[in-house]
Amino acid sequence: MSDFGALLWLIPALPLLGAVLAALFGATRGLKDWAHAPVVLTAALSCACAIAVAARLAGSTDPVTFAKSSNPDDRLHWFSVDSGTARLAADFVLSADHLAGTMLLAVTFIGFWIVVFSVGYMKGSPGFARYFAIVSLFLASMTLLVLADNFLLLFAGWEGVGLCSYLLVGYWHHKPSASDAARKAFLVTRLGDVGLIVGMFLLWLMAGRESMDYDEIFSVAAQMLADHPVMFPAACLLVLCGAVGKSAQIPLYVWLPDAMEGPTPVSALIHAATMVTAGVYLLARCAPLFVVVPGVQLTVATIGAATALLAAFIALTQHDLKRVLAYSTVSQIGFMFLAVGCAGPAVPALAVTAAIFHLFTHAFFKAVLFLSSGSVMHAMHDVIDMREFGGLRKVLPVTHWTFLAGALALAGIPLFSGFWSKDMILEATLEAGHAARFGSAYLVLFGIALATALMTAFYTFRAYYRTFWGELRMPEGAHPNEPWVMTLPLIVLGVGAVFAGILAEPFTHWFSNFLTTSPHLVRVSSGQTMDHHLNWPLMLASSAAALIGVGIAHYLYKSRPGAAEKIAEAAPTPYYLSLNKLYVDEIYTLLFVQPLELLAGMCRLVEAVVYDLARLIAMVPYYAGRGFRWAQNGLVQFYALAMVLMVAGLLGYFVLFAK
Amino acid sequence: MISVPHYLAVGAILFCLGLVGFLARRNLIVMFLSAELMLQGVALNFVAFSRYHGNLHGQVFTLFVIAVAACEAGIALALFLMLYRRKRSLDVSLWQSLREPGVDETTDPEPLPPGPKEEPLPRLPPAGVEPVREERQYV
Repeated sequence: MSDFGALLWLIPALPLLGAVLAALFGATRGLKDWAHAPVVLTAALSCACAIAVAARLAGSTDPVTFAKSSNPDDRLHWFSVDSGTARLAADFVLSADHLAGTMLLAVTFIGFWIVVFSVGYMKGSPGFARYFAIVSLFLASMTLLVLADNFLLLFAGWEGVGLCSYLLVGYWHHKPSASDAARKAFLVTRLGDVGLIVGMFLLWLMAGRESMDYDEIFSVAAQMLADHPVMFPAACLLVLCGAVGKSAQIPLYVWLPDAMEGPTPVSALIHAATMVTAGVYLLARCAPLFVVVPGVQLTVATIGAATALLAAFIALTQHDLKRVLAYSTVSQIGFMFLAVGCAGPAVPALAVTAAIFHLFTHAFFKAVLFLSSGSVMHAMHDVIDMREFGGLRKVLPVTHWTFLAGALALAGIPLFSGFWSKDMILEATLEAGHAARFGSAYLVLFGIALATALMTAFYTFRAYYRTFWGELRMPEGAHPNEPWVMTLPLIVLGVGAVFAGILAEPFTHWFSNFLTTSPHLVRVSSGQTMDHHLNWPLMLASSAAALIGVGIAHYLYKSRPGAAEKIAEAAPTPYYLSLNKLYVDEIYTLLFVQPLELLAGMCRLVEAVVYDLARLIAMVPYYAGRGFRWAQNGLVQFYALAMVLMVAGLLGYFVLFAK
Repeated sequence: MISVPHYLAVGAILFCLGLVGFLARRNLIVMFLSAELMLQGVALNFVAFSRYHGNLHGQVFTLFVIAVAACEAGIALALFLMLYRRKRSLDVSLWQSLREPGVDETTDPEPLPPGPKEEPLPRLPPAGVEPVREERQYV
C-alpha cells in the first residue's frame, strides 16, 4: 500500500507546489501571464491521484493511509506535547476511507474544471497570478482537510480554506463592499471555528487525554456519553457550531450571500461546491459521536430544515442572479444537514449516504449554475442584476443549455441528478419519522423539506426564465461571447449535473455501495444496512413538488409577464420580508454590531482621557525646562564657568552655614 | 619648615591658574594645557596628604591621574587636529553648534586678530618618480 500512500500525500502537495509556482511566476515580468499553467497542471495531476486512490478504494474495504502507524514514534510529528498525564500530538497522518475518497473526487475534479474556467474568466484581470496562487492553495487546504486522520490536522485544513475564502472574497480589495464582505465572512466563520476547537479539545479531554485521532475518539463515543452525560452533548453541539459557521447555516449563514463579491469561479468552487460543504463532511465524519445523542441529531436536522426553508424563502424575490444561487446553496446545504441529522433515528448508512450523495450532485449542478452565471456576467460586462438583462438564450446558447441542465438538477426534476439525491434525503427523513423517539418532529421536518423543494423549483426557474427568456435586453457595454476555455468546463460539468445522479445511484447503487463499504460507516451503522428500493409514492410527491414549482415559475415569468408584480402588490408583507432577507442583517446589526460599536466607543473615550492625562504630566517638565533654554548656548567656557560658580556657591554654603 | 599648608597653597595656586586659563583663553591647546595645570594642582594635594598620612593612597591616585591625563592628551590633541582641519582655526568659540534651537549664536565684540599667515606644508614627490634634483653649486 505504500505507493498509494505516496499518492495520498501528493494530492495536497501538488496544488501547494502549484500555488508556490504561481506566486513565483507572478513576481516575474515574463511569466506573469502564465501563472495559471502550473495551477492547471497540478490540479489535473492531483485529480488523477484522487481517481487512482478512489479506484484502489473501490476494490477493497481498507482505507488508504499515509504515515499511519500504531507506534506514535514512527509517525510524522507536526508537534507533540507530553506531560506524563496528558498527551497531545498533531501527527501528519493522512487517511482516505471511502467517505474521504468521495469528497476528494468531487473537490479535485470540480476544482480542476473551475480552474480551467478561471483561465478564461480572469484573463487580463489585475492580480491574475495572485488569484491562481490562492485558488491552488485552497485546493491544497481542502484536500488536507478531507484527508486528515486527526482533528488537529483537520483544523489546519479548516483554517486554511477559511483563509483562502477570505482572500478570494476580498479579491477586488479596492472595492469597499468586497473587503467588507471578506471581513464579514472571516469573522462570522471564526465564531463557528472557536466552537469547533473548544469542542475538539473537550472530546480529547473526555477520551482520556491521549490522542486526537479519529479512531481513538470515535471508538469510545458511547463510553464518553455514559461518563459525561452533559459535557459530551455539549462537545457535539460545539463541533456542530463549527460546521454551522463554515457551512453557512442558521444563525451564522449571513456571510455566504455577501461572499458573492468574490470572482464568480470562486463562488462556484469555494462558496458552492467545496468549502461550504466541509461542515457536512465534518458532521458525516463525526457521525459516530452524533448518533449516540439523538437530541443533538434532532438539533442538526432542525437547523438544516429551518435553514433550507428560510434561505429558499429569501431566494424567491432576489434580483441578483448570484444571490439567488447563494441562497439556494445555503438552502441545499440545509438539506444535507437535515440528512446528516437523520442518522440515528434512520439507518446511519442511509442518512450519511444521502447527505454525501446530495453534496456530490450539488457540487456538480451548483458549480455549473455558478459558472453559467459567471459566463452571463462576463458577457454582460459584470452586470448580474436580472432586471438589467433578459432573453439571453439566443446570444449565449451554450450557457443557456448548461444553466438549464443545472437548473433542472437543482429544481429536482425527475431523472436529473438533484432529484435522486433530494429523494434520498426525503426518504431518510421519512424513515427517521417512523422512529420511536422524536418521530413526529422528523415528520414535521419532512413536510418542511417537501415545501422547500417546491420553493426551490420555483426560484430556480424564476431565475432561468428571467435571464434567458423574454425579449432580448442587455446592459450598456455588453459583448456576448463564450470562449472555448469557458464553455468546455461548462459542458463537462453540465453533463455531470445531468447524469451524475442517475448513473451513480438509483439503479446501479454504485455510490452507496462504494460509500457504505467504508469501515467508518459500517461501524456507525452497527450492522444495519440500507435497503435499496425505489419509494414510488415519495418520488411522486417530490416530482409533483418540483413540477408545480416550475409550473408556477413558467406561468408567472413566461406565460403572463407582469403577473408576478401583481402578486407582490397583493401580498406586500411577505414580499418585502423576502426581498429584504427577513431583515436578519439589520437585526444582527442591532443586536451585536451596534452594542459592540458602543463598547468600542466607550473604550475609545477612556483611552482618550488616560492619554490626555499622560500628555498633561509630560507637559510639566517641558514647560519647566523652557525657562532654562537660554543657558544651553553651545559655548564650552560658559558651561565651565557655570560649573565653577555652582561649586563655589556650594562650597561657600557648606563652609559658612553648614554645621 | 615646609608643612602641609604650604603644599596645599601651591596646589591651590596651580589649580586657580589653570582654572583662570581654562575660562579666559580661547585657544583650544592653551585651554587643554590649563586643564592639565588644574590636574597637577590636585595631584600635588594628593601627594602632600599621602606624605602627611604616611600611606601610599594619595600616590596611587596621583599615578592614576597622570595616566588618565596622558590618555586624555592623546584623544584631545587628535580631536583638536580634526577640528583644526575643518575650520583652520583653534578658536573654541567657532564651535557653538550644539546649542538649544532658538538660542542665538554668541558673537565676540572684539574678534581675535588674524593669526600668522600659514606656511604651505612641504610636499613629497609621487612615489616611483625620481625627484628633480636641484643642482647645487659647490664652491
